[in-house]
Amino acid sequence: MTVSNGTPYSEALSAYQASAARPLKPAGDDTQTLLEQYHPDYRADTLDTIKVGPNSGDRCHRQLAELLQADARIDEADLAGAPVVKTDVLVIGGGGAGCAAALVARQAGAEVILATKLRLGDSNTVMAEGGIQASIEKSDTPQMHFDDTLKAGHFNAERELVAAMVKDGPDVIRWLIQQGMQFDLDEFGDLLTRRAGGTSANRVCYYRDYTGLEMMRVLREAVQNSDIDVWDYSPAVELLANESGHCAGAVLSNLKNCSYVQVVAKTVIIATGGIGRMHLNGFPTSNHFGATGDGLILAYRLGAKLRELDSFQYHPTGLAWPQHLAGSLITEGVRSAGTWLLNGHGERFIDELLPRDVVAAAILRECAEGRGITIEDGVCGVWLDTPGLELRNPGILQQRFPKLLNLGKKAGIDPSRSPLLIYPTLHYQNGGVVIDANGATTVPGLYCVGEASGGIHGKNRIMGNALLEIISFGRRAGEHAAAQRHNKGHKQVGLEHLSRLRRELTISGMPMERKSPMLFPDCAKFDDDADYDGLRRHRRNKVTQE
Amino acid sequence: MSQLNQVLLHESNRVGADLEAWFAAAGGQGLAKALAAPEAIIPLIREAGLRGLGGSGFPTYKKWGFVAAQSNSKEKYLICNGNEDEPGTFKDRILLQQAPHQVIEGATITALACGINHIIFYINPDQQKSIEAMREAVSQWQASEQIAAIEKVLGKTIEYRVLPSSGHYIGGEETAAIESVEGKFPFPRGKPPFPAESGVHGCPTLINNMETLSNVPHILRNGAEWFQGLGLGASTGTKIYCLTGDVLYPGAYELPMGTPLSTLINDYGGGMLLDKKLKAVFTGGPSNTLLTPKDLDVPLDYESVRERQSSLGTGAMIVISEGTGIVKRVSEYVSFFAHSSCGQCPPCKTGTHYAALLLSKIDTGQGSRADLDALENLCTILPGAGRCHMLDGALKVMESSLYHFRHEYEQALVL
Amino acid sequence: MSAENQQLVNVVIDGKAIQAPPSLSVIQALWHAGYPRVKGVGCLEGVCGSCRVLVRREGQEKVGMELGCQTLVEEGMQVLFLVFPNPTHHHYELGEIKNSWDVQAEFHRIFPEANSCRHCGGCYSACPKNINVELGVKLAGEGRFREAGELFVECIMCNLCMTGCPEAIAPNHVGLFARRVTAYFHARPSNLIHRLELLRKGELEVDCNSPGSQPDNAAN
Ligand SMILES: Cc1cc2nc3c(=O)[nH]c(=O)nc-3n(C[C@H](O)[C@H](O)[C@H](O)COP(=O)(O)OP(=O)(O)OC[C@H]3O[C@@H](n4cnc5c(N)ncnc54)[C@H](O)[C@@H]3O)c2cc1C
Ligand code: SF4
Ligand code: SF4
Repeated sequence: MTVSNGTPYSEALSAYQASAARPLKPAGDDTQTLLEQYHPDYRADTLDTIKVGPNSGDRCHRQLAELLQADARIDEADLAGAPVVKTDVLVIGGGGAGCAAALVARQAGAEVILATKLRLGDSNTVMAEGGIQASIEKSDTPQMHFDDTLKAGHFNAERELVAAMVKDGPDVIRWLIQQGMQFDLDEFGDLLTRRAGGTSANRVCYYRDYTGLEMMRVLREAVQNSDIDVWDYSPAVELLANESGHCAGAVLSNLKNCSYVQVVAKTVIIATGGIGRMHLNGFPTSNHFGATGDGLILAYRLGAKLRELDSFQYHPTGLAWPQHLAGSLITEGVRSAGTWLLNGHGERFIDELLPRDVVAAAILRECAEGRGITIEDGVCGVWLDTPGLELRNPGILQQRFPKLLNLGKKAGIDPSRSPLLIYPTLHYQNGGVVIDANGATTVPGLYCVGEASGGIHGKNRIMGNALLEIISFGRRAGEHAAAQRHNKGHKQVGLEHLSRLRRELTISGMPMERKSPMLFPDCAKFDDDADYDGLRRHRRNKVTQE
Repeated sequence: MSQLNQVLLHESNRVGADLEAWFAAAGGQGLAKALAAPEAIIPLIREAGLRGLGGSGFPTYKKWGFVAAQSNSKEKYLICNGNEDEPGTFKDRILLQQAPHQVIEGATITALACGINHIIFYINPDQQKSIEAMREAVSQWQASEQIAAIEKVLGKTIEYRVLPSSGHYIGGEETAAIESVEGKFPFPRGKPPFPAESGVHGCPTLINNMETLSNVPHILRNGAEWFQGLGLGASTGTKIYCLTGDVLYPGAYELPMGTPLSTLINDYGGGMLLDKKLKAVFTGGPSNTLLTPKDLDVPLDYESVRERQSSLGTGAMIVISEGTGIVKRVSEYVSFFAHSSCGQCPPCKTGTHYAALLLSKIDTGQGSRADLDALENLCTILPGAGRCHMLDGALKVMESSLYHFRHEYEQALVL
Repeated sequence: MSAENQQLVNVVIDGKAIQAPPSLSVIQALWHAGYPRVKGVGCLEGVCGSCRVLVRREGQEKVGMELGCQTLVEEGMQVLFLVFPNPTHHHYELGEIKNSWDVQAEFHRIFPEANSCRHCGGCYSACPKNINVELGVKLAGEGRFREAGELFVECIMCNLCMTGCPEAIAPNHVGLFARRVTAYFHARPSNLIHRLELLRKGELEVDCNSPGSQPDNAAN
């Protein structure tokens, strides 16, 4: 994003004073123009049209398109000597969706291998704070949940999938409790719920500020205590196909001993999560280290169709400073409680309670037009006026936002006395791999669940639906995939589809230098498997300073 | 071979738990001298040059002096340390089983010198025979007429107690032993306060190794000059060396302090097994810097070994020949330490655990360069991070084996 | 780049002497210096427990255990990543515990070591979240699972207490057991149960073409 000079941080900070009243600047443009001019999704220069594969002709974010149309990381020759391991179900990804799928598949009697890139549970799931949607209150119905989800997604969601998910909601909560997950309960032992922005009923179940952490540690423990074979530090680098082009397993890179393993499976479930670490348009992200969109690439190469490849959620309040915390999420609740956003001149510039995409666009506008606050070359943001909130509601931060205070502590800033510099952060991938109600993709034998899948949120997601989706569809896919274990085995398993890919790429004149999936973010300087040990300083590291 | 077993392990002293036999073998004479002139004991010990033989080499008279000087406490404790749990060390159990009265008399003289009225024989519970022998010997003492004379000179009643330790290696550390005597888990305490001021139940407490105490009756009986004359060069007295590993005749050898390593190995140990070449010697705990073939000439006394950057420690000499993997040995010892860490200091527990994992990975042919790197980095970041010396000991073994035998580590790497 | 304007500090991370601006975490500092690092990196927000490090600050004897993504580099700091697996040796499935009256007995069967806590406090001093782990183990041993579990609310399962425990108690898994049985046996929310009942009876169908889900009605 281009940044004109704003007010320097120290200057803005000394000029800042908490105040109990600040009028809202009259809105200049209407929201549609604002979005079109400043929301990253609408920026034509960042979009591309896909030329190769099942989504040819579709609009897609340029960075994602580059990866979807890049060469594979491996060749058939790389598999020489690679051991072959057989199983019924291979689950790729160790977040909430992957664990749910693996647990259910195992329980249904299938042999399961769960391979994950980092350690089991290093995921976006563990970071979720807000909660999980399920219509359980008297004032609510699954129908209302359905309507809210469609509306929020600008009516782009797949109705059949949404219906399946909302009906699963209450049973998902029960299943989680049966795994040993706690939820916040009232004095009678009933589930407490709260309302998410843009919804019509209290529907979000939660455990403190730690819903994802609680969910993940419970599911991880359940997986580790089962007969599921867990392979950590084993990212999937390519899928395997059989003679009919059905998915037949995957090639995993065992980082611990720098070797490839071929897992031949009756069915494969992709649960690799989101794309935050692609840092689309150079944005910081709230996502975990492994969120590099690998699953999209793997599925696409095998011929699976994807959707909404131009729609991503930028959360308005990511921390912009200090640098080591850049992109960290500040929960929406802080704004809901009445915290203002202020630009470099100390003015409010947007109704803070408007939808996420609008607020994010407004922040970007302030920064672009020189009304932001700059701290260093390239780092710009606006104030999150937490001292103002505290002034109007003494004690509220301590009471309701302990985690924010904690974040402040790590940042060396006391949010009750000093405003926080914030900037939109890349948060969620709205689309993904096309699936049906069983989580099956358009490629036989291949399933996809969780953030990597698409169709459930349309073009925008409401808070709490992601955690619901991962368990709802994780279980569905696990069950269905396990049932396929009695199918006849594959006759021939290999990487035929890569030749097709390379042919198409060459014919379309695409560059072949770039390899995908990316596995690790650029900042980690990971080029090949030997970099796992991190011993040698990188050739690629150009000294960018001076 | 007349230099072998001149004093503590001399045939005539190894009479077992039989007080009469001990007195017949000239036992009791030292005690008699002590009773006659208790104030002369510490100066005599000083003149003789007796030092802590459990590993520290600290001048014994100084330690005693601190405790003796504590005049405001009526109760004083002596812990006779026989926790002996480290690999390759087995001298205390021989002394306790074969010459229990030697230790008891030594402890009694010590008590007279320092005004101590509680004597605790603190013994590794795995050494059942030692405990039995000591129990028997102690009851013989308590029934003897010596006690009245002792208590008269001391001016208070004297208590003897045999206490099995918890069996944790760490329980041999001074302050941990105190905790143990108090009935608690043997966690090493921070110093200060030093035990001499505040030990068992806050009372002045002296802690000496069994071997040190065993020397005391003989010094009293034969005088300081005699004791000095036993050692080679500037050293005094004898030392029981526990020789193990790839030699023909492993065993405990009491030899003049300062006997060269080569003499111990070749003349007493019968030379290297199968005539293999000597590769290294793990000394003491085994928690010290390794000795290598170029150190064969080193006189085994505290100063000389320290000059080679190592330490005599308990006197254990674990001899390794060509053909024995250094990595494997170090791996075994470090996992012993990882097991023994008491848990109080997370860097010690976690550090030794991590090191043990890395070593066993490398040793079993699964190690990568990163593992070796991590091992070296542990050696740089951890020293001094533990409350007692256990962590540093473990690091020293690792570090020196890395220094001398890096090629062996390198060869074992697969990635 | 943002790094310029800051005075660089000298740190040694995993044996590599590097320079980095003090606003970086130790992980970022390694990246900044051009070293690839993916081992022991996870959420980068202090909740996954991947990036355990040993830290010694200049002039200090003490070596602490911290999270690499939360620790900023300082002049003279030494850092070492603790990357090793922590397999647990306890295996259980909640479904095996048939009766909630048996939980305590089952606990002692599954975690026989929990009774041998020697109260060294190592688990507590190792915990980057300052959880009173030792007390948690004690409470669980007494069958006070709800109370024990409450102590572990912020536990990120970094396993530092587990490696630190000389009795191999796996205190964090004890804590998680306490939490799980509390939910498994005692969470019976009536609002949820009622909703499940209505769904079972088929009283809450979803109309995929409901009026509320049509673009033209979106205004309300
Ligand atoms: C900070 C934050 C807060 C959030 N808050 C909420 C909330 O309050 N409510 C809500 O509903 N949602 C929330 N979300 C969204 C939600 O957490 C995620 O969308 C959801 O958890 C995704 O689950 P998943 O299992 O699909 O993916 P993840 O949990 O991200 O798991 C993906 C797994 O796949 C692994 N993987 C990736 N690539 C590969 C590969 N090539 N090979 C093998 N393994 C691979 C990863 O390492 C990871 O373990 C939040 C997200 C973030 C980042
Ligand atoms: S209780 Fe143990 S696993 Fe949990 S955060 Fe503390 S040290 Fe880590
Ligand atoms: S580390 Fe283990 S033994 Fe020590 S206090 Fe904690 S649970 Fe008890």
